[in-house]
Amino acid sequence: MIKPKPKLTDSDFIEGLRNGDEIALSALYKKYYNLVLKFVVSNNGSSDAAQDVYQETIIVLYEKCKDPGFVLNCQLQTYIYSVARNLWLKQLKKHGSVTGLKDFHVDVLEEASGDVKSHLKKEEEIEKVMQSLSQLGEPCATLLKDFYVNKMSMDDISEKFGYTNSDNAKNQKYKCLQRLKRLFFNNFTLID
Amino acid sequence: MRTVDLFDNYLAGNLEGSDLLAFEQRLENDSTFKKAFQEHRLLLDLLTEHNDKNSLKNKLNQIHSVHFGKEAKIISINNSEKLTKRLGKTFAVAASAAVVAVVVTIALLSTGGYLLKKQKSEITDLKREVDGLKYYQDAIVQKLKTKGTKTNVVDANLEGTGFAINNDGYVLTSWHMVNGADSIFIENSNTERTQTKIIFNDPSLDIAVLKIENANVSENWQIPYTFFPKTIDVGDNVFTLGYPRRDVVYGEGSLSSQSGYYNDTAMYQISIPVNPGNSGGPLLDVYGNVIGVIRGKISTAEGTGFAIKSREIIKSFTTIDGDSATIDFASPKRNGLKNLKRSEQLKRITPYVFNVMVYKSN
Repeated sequence: MIKPKPKLTDSDFIEGLRNGDEIALSALYKKYYNLVLKFVVSNNGSSDAAQDVYQETIIVLYEKCKDPGFVLNCQLQTYIYSVARNLWLKQLKKHGSVTGLKDFHVDVLEEASGDVKSHLKKEEEIEKVMQSLSQLGEPCATLLKDFYVNKMSMDDISEKFGYTNSDNAKNQKYKCLQRLKRLFFNNFTLID
Repeated sequence: MRTVDLFDNYLAGNLEGSDLLAFEQRLENDSTFKKAFQEHRLLLDLLTEHNDKNSLKNKLNQIHSVHFGKEAKIISINNSEKLTKRLGKTFAVAASAAVVAVVVTIALLSTGGYLLKKQKSEITDLKREVDGLKYYQDAIVQKLKTKGTKTNVVDANLEGTGFAINNDGYVLTSWHMVNGADSIFIENSNTERTQTKIIFNDPSLDIAVLKIENANVSENWQIPYTFFPKTIDVGDNVFTLGYPRRDVVYGEGSLSSQSGYYNDTAMYQISIPVNPGNSGGPLLDVYGNVIGVIRGKISTAEGTGFAIKSREIIKSFTTIDGDSATIDFASPKRNGLKNLKRSEQLKRITPYVFNVMVYKSN
């Protein structure tokens, strides 16, 4: 039967992010939004900017959570504040120097800057894949996404794209993938 | 087999036995093979990651628009700081909600509720009201204790609709209405005012389940409708019962769209003119199946309502992993409403639709 809903702890939130639990995600989002909003808005940001920074912060946390070895060794609030702070500082620095920063949380975690750095690097790589994919054009882009992301079977793909049989589709997929690798890697390792 | 297919098979976990062994050995000994594999995996990881992050971003945007409004604007952040200091921690939530004024384009249909949306100049009044409320609320509890009879001493500061979902005293309503409530009562013409508590909520769907604290109240319940997991078609007739005022009000219309605000597929668009107070009411099809729950309307357009699909609610109840809790829906063997004319259907449904009264004091 039903028990009253317990208050979610930091590790509940992390577990929830790992498992794609939407209730935990929603609760997490609500919990720290105002903190980040306050920080960004008090440091020359708009509420739209705060929303962007906050959502990117959750994504950084999500990236970390996907590593099964990730252990949070501070309060979640500290982590979120530190990541958001770092992301916003990077934005501010792009538009000039930063003076008189107003802080709303005592602890700032140094490690956060490393996490933000690797997140931004990852984002760059993803961006590059997406660019390569759009250069690739159709039907290649959709075909690859259907197979690798949507996990469609070759039979379904062959039907969707009107290939005569799944071997044809497989061939097409192979060619598309080789072209994508050529676009993405400067020197891609050809093995066949 | 092409090497790429071999990679795919390995990554999908389809290699077994000697094939797997041979593959792993080659990875170890053949550096070109290894490099090609690493590139292959990197590329595909990036593709999947892009997809994961996109769907996470969509979820976050949805959560944001539900809880903080699509166009939430800052009026004055300094003001909220002062208030926080003066009025203490619990008030800070209300203050920031008020100061970060919410310009929500989708109006949530509970009566009242303007309390938190008042602007700067009215913030000082807020506390007095809150204090007053606390006093009245204590009075109500006192009255209920001593008399145990119906009382209309005080208006709740939020009212809406809820309806029974099983025969054990469980009532479904809107989360936006009961969120942060101090006490929640329900009543209708068959049931005297009785206290409930929240036992489940899903903010992403804006639903909450209340349980009536006094088990005697639901002793003889026999819910006539079923909770219908399938979606119905555009153009089909639908109706609702709700409490936009103290008396139950019937509304009918048809299903306008399979998706709601921002193309949200968890919702229907309906052509029933819904009003503040309708939030949390059941949406039924002609056979008396509950196909959704009234959620809100677009504040700028009349006659456009939104309802959360039953299907999504059932899903939400069954994916609470934390305590592997599930909430049972009443499922009468036979839908007793199917062959009745509408007025007869309503007579049987009305006892299970409640006016929900929410008291918030912070």
